[in-house]
Amino acid sequence: MNLSARMIIVLTTVGLISGGFLAGVAKLTKEKIALNIQAEIEEAIQEVVAGAEINQVLHEEDDLVIYKETKGDGELVGFALQATGVGFQDKITLMFGLDAPLKNITGLTIISQSETPGLGAKIEDWDAFLQFWQNRDATGPLTLRKPPARTAEDLSRSEINTITAATISSQKVLGIVNFSIERLRQLIQQGTIAVEEKDGN
Amino acid sequence: MATKSIGSEYLKGLWDENPVFRQLLGMCPTLAVTGTVITGIAMGLATTFVLILSSIVVASIKKLIPAQVRIASYIVVIASFVTIADQVLKAYFYPISEALGPYVPLIVVNCIILGRQEAFASKNSIGRSFVDALGMSSGFVLALLILSSVREILGAGTFLGYQVMGAWFKPWIIMILPAGAFITLGILLGIALLIESKTKRS
Repeated sequence: MNLSARMIIVLTTVGLISGGFLAGVAKLTKEKIALNIQAEIEEAIQEVVAGAEINQVLHEEDDLVIYKETKGDGELVGFALQATGVGFQDKITLMFGLDAPLKNITGLTIISQSETPGLGAKIEDWDAFLQFWQNRDATGPLTLRKPPARTAEDLSRSEINTITAATISSQKVLGIVNFSIERLRQLIQQGTIAVEEKDGN
Repeated sequence: MATKSIGSEYLKGLWDENPVFRQLLGMCPTLAVTGTVITGIAMGLATTFVLILSSIVVASIKKLIPAQVRIASYIVVIASFVTIADQVLKAYFYPISEALGPYVPLIVVNCIILGRQEAFASKNSIGRSFVDALGMSSGFVLALLILSSVREILGAGTFLGYQVMGAWFKPWIIMILPAGAFITLGILLGIALLIESKTKRS
């Protein structure tokens, strides 16, 4: 057998065997991986919308997924928005909750980020950042408080504390949230998604 | 080569030819994922899995592969095992897989692995290649463990997530940043060279 034929046969065989192996492994792990991602999203929703039992995807686009959250008996408890945007170093994916009348942000949690460890990565930290996202005003754009207030009570309801030495990361998260709320309003106005009980306060 | 005992074939990976401290191979994962001990160990074990299995496969098929396409074939073998490791981590160790991020797929281009195939597994028996891969992996895990311990303890005051430093301790944030990786690696390499020169003289 000449050399070229041997090279072709060997490389093809190696490729086919490894391809076959990988197809098998992918089949075995695919379901479990999907479940893991699902579980992560559900856990994040639980953190930001209290009492959510059933998640229903209302709308899905590139960097935004809107979930409608209801209790087991169908009572609307709020909305969860999963949004992705550019951070200081890489993309930040977060989940935040809105109450049923779309007037308040109920909470925020970070799903994935690769901000600077020890600085920007504090956007995941409850004491440094996430606690300020509870019960915020969602009727207008939120602003950053800099220098940061000492306690959550010192902030107005439309303000978020800046993380010291991580202004950009704080700003990026704020930007993603403001943008997502704006987009949600737009979608409602266009009639793309229907939200019941808008005046339910 | 064949004159070496199996024991020394294993031990050389730990010190004399330690992939990180002596050969300076695999620097990318060494620097990138040693911010915490758990990611360091996970990276070490994933690399171990890939290195051992690739060495066994390469050593068993070495006679069938024409020299001209050997690197391509090795890479396909390595990439297959890396993909398996990545999928298994994602399926069963999801948080660790998230923490390691793109560095698991990047094991494909870890020079330790291709280097061992080219320098050892393609010229030695399956048994010897296995022992060599085991030794090199142990050396790699050991290096990552030392580096990540220093960085996590000084950078966060914790070890494997448990608080080990008292409340007085202010974490040195630089240690968990990329600069801390270079500083720690540099100091450890210096220590390794110092030990080497001391033992040679005596």
